[in-house]
Order: sequence, then C-alpha cells, then structure tokens
Amino acid sequence: MKRHLLAATAATMVLLAAHSTASAESVLNVGMAAADVGQLDPHRATTTQDKPVVSWIFNGLVRFKPGSASLEELEPDLAEKWEKSADGLTWTFHLRKGVKFHGDWGEMTSDDVVYSLKRAADSKTSSFASDYAPVASIEAIDAHTVKLVLKNPIPALLGIVANYHGGNIVSKKAAEALGADFRIKPVGTGPFALTEYKSNESLTFTAHKGYFRGAPKIDKIVYRFIPADSARDLAFTSGELDVVYGRQDQRWVERFQKENGVVVEVVRPSELSVLHINQTKKPFDDIRVRKAIAMAIDSKQMVAFKGAATAIAPVSVVPVGYLGTHEAKLHPHDVAKAKALLAEAGFPNGLPLKVIQTSLPTMLNSMQIVQAQLKQVGIDMQMEVVDHQSWHAQIRKDLSEANYYSAARFPVADVYLQQFFHSRSTVATPTAVTNFSHCKVADAEIDAAAIETDAAKQKQLWATAQQKIVDDVCAVPMFEQLQVWARHTNVDWGYKFEGAMHLGPVVTEATSKK
Amino acid sequence: MSTSAAEFRPSVLKRALRSGGLLFGIALVVVMIVAAIAAPWLAPHDPNAQDVLLVLTPPDAAHLFGTDAFGRDVLSRVLWGARISLYVGFVSTLAGVIIGTAIGVVAGYYGGIVDRLVVAATDVLLSFPQLIMGLLLVAVLGASLGNLIIAIAVTAIPAFVRLARGSTLTMRERDFVDACRTLGFSDLRIMFLHVLPNILDEIVVMASLWLASAIRTEATLAFIGLSVPPPTATWGGIVREGFDNLLDAPWMSIFPSLAILAVMIGLNLVGDGLRDATDPKGAP
Repeated sequence: MKRHLLAATAATMVLLAAHSTASAESVLNVGMAAADVGQLDPHRATTTQDKPVVSWIFNGLVRFKPGSASLEELEPDLAEKWEKSADGLTWTFHLRKGVKFHGDWGEMTSDDVVYSLKRAADSKTSSFASDYAPVASIEAIDAHTVKLVLKNPIPALLGIVANYHGGNIVSKKAAEALGADFRIKPVGTGPFALTEYKSNESLTFTAHKGYFRGAPKIDKIVYRFIPADSARDLAFTSGELDVVYGRQDQRWVERFQKENGVVVEVVRPSELSVLHINQTKKPFDDIRVRKAIAMAIDSKQMVAFKGAATAIAPVSVVPVGYLGTHEAKLHPHDVAKAKALLAEAGFPNGLPLKVIQTSLPTMLNSMQIVQAQLKQVGIDMQMEVVDHQSWHAQIRKDLSEANYYSAARFPVADVYLQQFFHSRSTVATPTAVTNFSHCKVADAEIDAAAIETDAAKQKQLWATAQQKIVDDVCAVPMFEQLQVWARHTNVDWGYKFEGAMHLGPVVTEATSKK
Repeated sequence: MSTSAAEFRPSVLKRALRSGGLLFGIALVVVMIVAAIAAPWLAPHDPNAQDVLLVLTPPDAAHLFGTDAFGRDVLSRVLWGARISLYVGFVSTLAGVIIGTAIGVVAGYYGGIVDRLVVAATDVLLSFPQLIMGLLLVAVLGASLGNLIIAIAVTAIPAFVRLARGSTLTMRERDFVDACRTLGFSDLRIMFLHVLPNILDEIVVMASLWLASAIRTEATLAFIGLSVPPPTATWGGIVREGFDNLLDAPWMSIFPSLAILAVMIGLNLVGDGLRDATDPKGAP
C-alpha cells in the first residue's frame, strides 16, 4: 500500500512538473516607483509611472525606434508612408492595413486616426492640446488615408503624430463607449493589452496575439507599484522582479552594477530638474529675491550629491541635447551676492518660502538639498509634503510659491518653452499646461520661433527666449538626471536600450525572457 | 478603607524604590529626556548641515552613528529627533490625559444621559485602532507639529475617559463623597478635589503606558511620512530616510530604532513598576 502511494505521488509529481513546463507562461515582472497608476489615457498620461505603460498599449503614425529617444530615428508605425506638400503645410499619411485593436474593438482605420488626433487637440480631453494648435484640419480621405493640414509650418510635425503623448492612436469606438473609464481601460493597437488593474498594486497586460508586427514573445507583463525604494530593490534582488525602475542615484547604480546577472541601463533623455518660482506670490514678484534664489542654488553640488553616473549639470532652462537648446548664461552660485540682493529687497534677515512637495523619495531628497542651500542665504524653505498624486493636482492649482518639477519633453526646444514658459500655459488658466512661474517674458520669441522656417533664425529666437527666461529668473535649472533601469540578464529587450522617450523600456513583440 | 490618597503614599514610595525594574525604567527615561533637552549642547554637529563629501559614511570617531544620504550626522539627528519625538509624546499624552480624565470624571459623577452619550462617543472612537485613527487625523489635518499632537491626543482621550469614568463610578458611592455632599460642597469641588485625587494613581500608571504608545505612534506616522516636514529630524523620520539605503548603510536606521526601543522599554518598566507599587493587592 505504502509503495503504491509513493509511486502515485511520484507519478503525480512528474505529471505536474511536465504540466507546468508545458504551460509555462513567459511573464515579465516590472517594478515601478509609484503608489498607483495615474492615467492610462494616452492623451492625459504625464507621470513617470504611466508613460512606459502607454508605449506598450499604443502606436502612433510613426514611432521612436525602440531604445532610442532621438527625433532622427523616427520610423513608420501605423502609417506605412507619408508625403508632404512643397510648402510643408499639407501632410498625407497612408495607413497600414489590417491593424487590429485589442480585444473585439475591430480594425484600425483612418476614422480612429482622425478621432484620436482631434481628441489630442482638444483641451477637454487632452493634456497636450497646445501641441496641436498649429493644426488646421485633420480629415480622412479614405479608410486608409489621412490628410493633415497645418496653419503654419512647425519644427517637427512627425513629433506630434509619433507614439508619444497626443500622437498615440486610440480606438474611437472604445474611447466613445468607455468615456471616463478609458482612463483605466485603455484600448490601442500595441503589442500588449491591459487586462487587469488592481488599485495601488499592479497592472497586468496580456500579449496582443493579433499585433501587426507579430505575436509578442512575452505572454504577460505584471507592472507592480512598489513606492518604497528598499522594498522594490529587495524584490528585484530576490528575483521577484525581472526589471526595476532604478534610483537616479550614484550608489544605487554602483551597487547593482556589481550584482551578478544584473544589467544597469542609464539612458537618455535626461530630465531637467527646475525650480519654478511663482512670480505672482509676494515677495517673489521682486526680481532681486528671485535672483537671490538662483544664486543660492549650487548646481555643481547638486550634481555631486546625485553622482556623476546619472546626473549632469544643466546648461539652460531647456534640457541638453534638444533641437534648439542654447547654452545660456546662468546665474553663478554666489552666497554673498544672494544675501546682498535679499537685503536690498528688504529681507536682511531672510524670508520664508512655502512650497508643496511630493513625498516621492528621489524628489524629496533633491528638494532637501535645495532647502539646505537656500538656508545658507537665509531663505527658510517650508515644505508641505503630500503624496505624489495630490502634489500633481495641487501645483496645478497655483498653490505653491515655488515648485520643483523634473521633466523630459519632446526633444525640441519649442515644446519645453511652450509648456513651461509661455504665458498661455500658465497653471490655473483654461489653456494651462505647466507654466508654474507665470513666466511671460519670452512669449514673442517662442511664438516667432514656432513658425520661423529659417532654421538659423529659429535657433536664434530660441536662444534669445532661453536667455530672457534665465535673466528674469522664471525658473532655476538645477541638474539633469538620466533614466536608470535595471534588468536581470535573462531579459532581452530585442533592441539596444539607449534611450527611452517614454522614460522606461518599450516592451515590444521582440522582447523575450529566458 | 483609605479615604485619601495621602494615606498610602509612603508605602507606595517604599515599594516603588524596591522595584529594580521601575528604577531602571526611570533611569532610561530620564537619560533620554536629558539627552533631548541638552541636544543643542550634546550634539556634535548641526543636525541639518549637509556635506556632499561625507555622504553615507559608516560610524567612526567623528560621526559616532555615521552619516546619512546628505552627509548629516546621524547622532546629532537622533539627539535632536528625541526632542520632537518626546515632545510630541509628552504633550499629546498630557492633553489626552487632562481632557479624557475631565470628561470621564464628569460623566461618571453625574451619570444619566451625559454618561450614556459619553460612553457611546468613546465606543465609536475606541472602535478605531489607535494608529488608524492617528493616520486619519493627520492625513485630514495635514502633517505639522501641532496637528500631530492633536491627532495623537485625540486617540488617547477615549481610553482615559473610560478609565476615569469607571473609577469615578465606584468612588461616587463611597462614604466620603456622601460626607462631602452633606457638608454642602459643590459638585465641582467634590469631583476634582476629592474624587480625582483618589483615582489619580491609576491614571498615572496608564499615562506612562500611553506615553510609550504615543511616542511609538509618532514614530510610525513619521515612518510613513506623516510627520513634521523635512529637514526637521524625528526618530521615525530618520528610520524612514535610512530605509532607502538600508542595505548599504544600516546605521542610519539602526540607531534611531534603538533610541525608540530604549524609550519604549523605559516607559513600560515605569508603567509596570508603578502599577505594582500602587496596587494594594500586590503588596509583598
């Protein structure tokens, strides 16, 4: 009897083992430094935790080559080819045929493209509406041809139809049927479809078998929200996570580079960390006070704290390497002069600066360095620390006297300047984007550069705009931070991961896990 | 039957002094309080002074507890952190004790509808775990020193209402209270000059235990980021900041944790010792 039992157990075990290998799913576990998802509606998604995910779900007419963040390397995506008119105003896109949306949402046609781009251009449904201001009309010629007409030529038209921000193509039927639910039930044409959302825990994606580039090699992606750095690192070290959002921190990079079977990838684009100073709050309407803040901030020291492996010094109020970035003359670090300026402005004993700050560890740590630097000139920075989502909401209500914001944008100076420093983009206005400082000194140059067709003149206008913004101290550039990700060597992206427009790795049909 | 607290005090003191645990507890707590008060003189460095060249240095002669991710001296931060942590603990417990006891004595003394309302209200408050209650209040009020004290005090109030009410209920029936009434003393005078002194020992015992719990609650709230905003050091906050580098630089979390542990042990020993000393049944 005993022997029978033993044999039966052994047989069962063999069977089970065979079963588990046969049905072994290839599951990619990704760990993210956030408590929860923000927005998966691609036309609304702006936060670091949402962007990579959006790139797995959606396609654009063209796409950034996976692993690259360069405008030079755009390649066809949903559009197979396109033509532009001689004056650069009329663009005709020929769509790929037989592209399927996730689930039962049918085939992608020019209707979806027209709907998506119009949706992206509407500030009621999109956070990127201002990018589409120069678009005069978008229409479908037939089921697979779309014509886009511009009011004026713009620096990088393909940029606004790429798989980034507003250029992501959504299913018209799904977006209309789901309404506000689209936020957490996005439907696109990309290699992975969102199948489950557990609030504050994870997102689960399933391979889109009908993906037009072929069925993905990975069956499932579990995107886990682990806000605590040490918990996330431990989960990665123990193998629970295959891929982890790294800390933009020298020690972190060094530590994980030493681990066996781990690849640390430090990639572009850099996010420029900027302290926006709210000019409408007293006494920061006084340029002397703003200049004092600029002189108190020591960007060299900030880079030293962050570490040379991931941080670089800023050159302007636009990140380095963008089309049109100008090496501006920044305010030198000068504690004595800053103090003198404050005294001249009527604050010989210093003054308080009240800010709303996110509890996100990396950002909170940077802000503590700024806090210590400002203290040396007598500015007492008082932080109200709130969770990341509340912070995003509150700073857009114009509540903070200064605001530390770190961002990468589409790599053209125009976009950064428009969104952060054009008066049109001022927060708490109907056309708001992310102008937290109420900056308005360079409106004319920014507008002129946007429609300038002569490349040299355009560059000159952008340069003037950047210098004016620096001189008026709308914002103080502090440091630039590259993106850090780590993976176990059994994960193969299927491409060389050097850049990530989406701030994270694009998981494609070619990505695999051994 | 003892009718006045004064009668059994000498024996309480004697028993208390014989209890080694109590003495050790008192010593621990006193050392911590002295360290907190003397922090400005004891701390070798400015607790908020950053130094980019000294980031995450392990404990050595210049920095006995090592430095944190900003190059700040952990020993100085633990000492300064003691001020906030102990201050919040003491003030919030004191507020909880005073308010809770006053409500409890009044409810127990008058009884009737007042009593029933108070009991119902404390039932509701007691149904929330202390930490959840504190968390909720701080989240709603916003994280600041004042709000932290309010939140922790509020969590302490119902427990003291219950204790004071129960004890007052039994005191109310005592002969000396009747005597006071016969003499025509006002209710207020009877409650706070005659009933209160007789229930005070129980309240003091519980207060010492609650003090430990208040300090722990503060540390826990600070650990999850709901405390005094940076750069001010609090024990829970230092532990949390150390957590980011727990694997490379464990000293950042270990030392403030030890400080919390020492105070917890000290206060619990004090509470236990006081209880044994004031409990007539426990007399040797």
